[in-house]
Amino acid sequence: MAEQKGTLDGKVIIITGGGTGLGKSMALLLAQEGADIVVAARRVPPLEEVAAEVRQMGRRSVAIPTDCTDPAQVNQMVERTLKEMGKIDVVVNNAGLVRGARAKPMWEITDAEWREGIDVNLSSAFYCTRAVSKYFVERKSGKVVNVSSGEGFRGVRDNYMYCCAKGGVVQLTRTLAVSWAPFNIQVNCIVPGFVDTFDNQPPEYQKILEQYRMSRSTRLFLPVGHTGKPDDIGFITLFLCSDASDYITGGFFAADGGGLAGGFATTGYAPTVSLKEALA
Amino acid sequence: MTAKVFMLKDKIAIVAGESKIWTKPIVGALTAAGADVAILAKQSTKLTQAVDVARRNGRKAIAIPTDVTNPAQVQKNVNQVIGEYGRIDILVNAADIQFFQPFMDIKDTDWQKSMDYNLNSVVNFCRAAGKQMLVQKKGRIINVVSTLAERGINNGSVYCIAESGVLQLTRVLALEWALAGVTVNAIGTGWFEEGNKPADELISKYIPAKRYGKPEEIGGLVVYLAADATEFTTGQLMYVDGGLMSHA
Repeated sequence: MAEQKGTLDGKVIIITGGGTGLGKSMALLLAQEGADIVVAARRVPPLEEVAAEVRQMGRRSVAIPTDCTDPAQVNQMVERTLKEMGKIDVVVNNAGLVRGARAKPMWEITDAEWREGIDVNLSSAFYCTRAVSKYFVERKSGKVVNVSSGEGFRGVRDNYMYCCAKGGVVQLTRTLAVSWAPFNIQVNCIVPGFVDTFDNQPPEYQKILEQYRMSRSTRLFLPVGHTGKPDDIGFITLFLCSDASDYITGGFFAADGGGLAGGFATTGYAPTVSLKEALA
Repeated sequence: MTAKVFMLKDKIAIVAGESKIWTKPIVGALTAAGADVAILAKQSTKLTQAVDVARRNGRKAIAIPTDVTNPAQVQKNVNQVIGEYGRIDILVNAADIQFFQPFMDIKDTDWQKSMDYNLNSVVNFCRAAGKQMLVQKKGRIINVVSTLAERGINNGSVYCIAESGVLQLTRVLALEWALAGVTVNAIGTGWFEEGNKPADELISKYIPAKRYGKPEEIGGLVVYLAADATEFTTGQLMYVDGGLMSHA
């Protein structure tokens, strides 16, 4: 595999939240196409595992423990990447926290919870992009791949931080795309629906996530009838990191099992009304 | 009760198109705000009921039976309205024929007819009434569409396409006629009660408001968009949907 020419040969790609879930799938798919991968996230063991797996594929890979909500750590991560890898071609802002999606009445949300939810799902993307911004603009090339959510486009009951932050990612994408288009920098956004990343989550969240997976409301929004898998998102990431997307910027790429296409009624609702009845 | 700035006193409104739900509540809202109306749709009891509502509100009303799919007839009957009232201030396209069949089962003739009622009729009325509004250098066009202009549903191919067609016509005409004093806006409607048809229980739960809308709940927005006060609003789609489009 390593000898075959890949579509991302020689590219250096930073993936935040790269140790688990979507990030892990992205790292391995991108490495398979020849990219060198920097994974940055809080928890070290899964990060090291992914980096080791990438190296086994014959690519360079560095695991940089980073709290992406801390601008100083993010800046250091970018500096270290430049020093060790020599350049940066793409930043994938994947760090986020679905478990911040737990619904709560607004009056029960503390200041700390609000800030954490916004920090981890929105500010982290801003900090990481800012850290490479001058470098990308001066170099007149680069790509940013953001990860929003169906919940960035639609409201979800009592789900304030996640919806607001992911909606913020949508506007961050548009603003960056417009600002950086003259510098040959493409900024696009992935919109995952319900993707099953639960096996990679810490055991203390398994029960909540299992309820989420099985809940009626989850299924009501899934026209294809099943949740997505991390690779469903990884494949779009691959496309958006590659030269194939060089003329694409400010775009939104959903992999959501049809969730955003429907929505007028619950999934599976299929009325029939003949024209005669309709005109009666 | 209509706020003073939204009153439509002595304005002339056409309410056009075939619809099971919308004709009566729209006529009711316009006339309650002080407008006189002409109702153009095929002959039925709905037409006479709508005229009764208008007259109960103390306004003038005429019903002109019209094949809305026939451009020449639409033009002729719109001219008759102008002859009667002297001008047209407001056109509300209420067309709404909800035809649902699996895509592969739809007969060509049914497809064509559905498009004629839901989309082409709106084109016919915009042409016929728009001509007069452009001369007047003033007018309000309000197109009632479904939220299905922006969302898909199983078996809804014709209806969804026609509705999004009307939505795009709204945006384009708004631009073409922006300098001519004619505003063109759309109202997006979600799930509404239809006669005595029972509400679907699962759908009711699914709507954030937890219930279907009552047809008369469209009235406030119709009057708002018809009023002089909204002359700076054009090309917009506004929803009456109990929150449906916020979460779905």
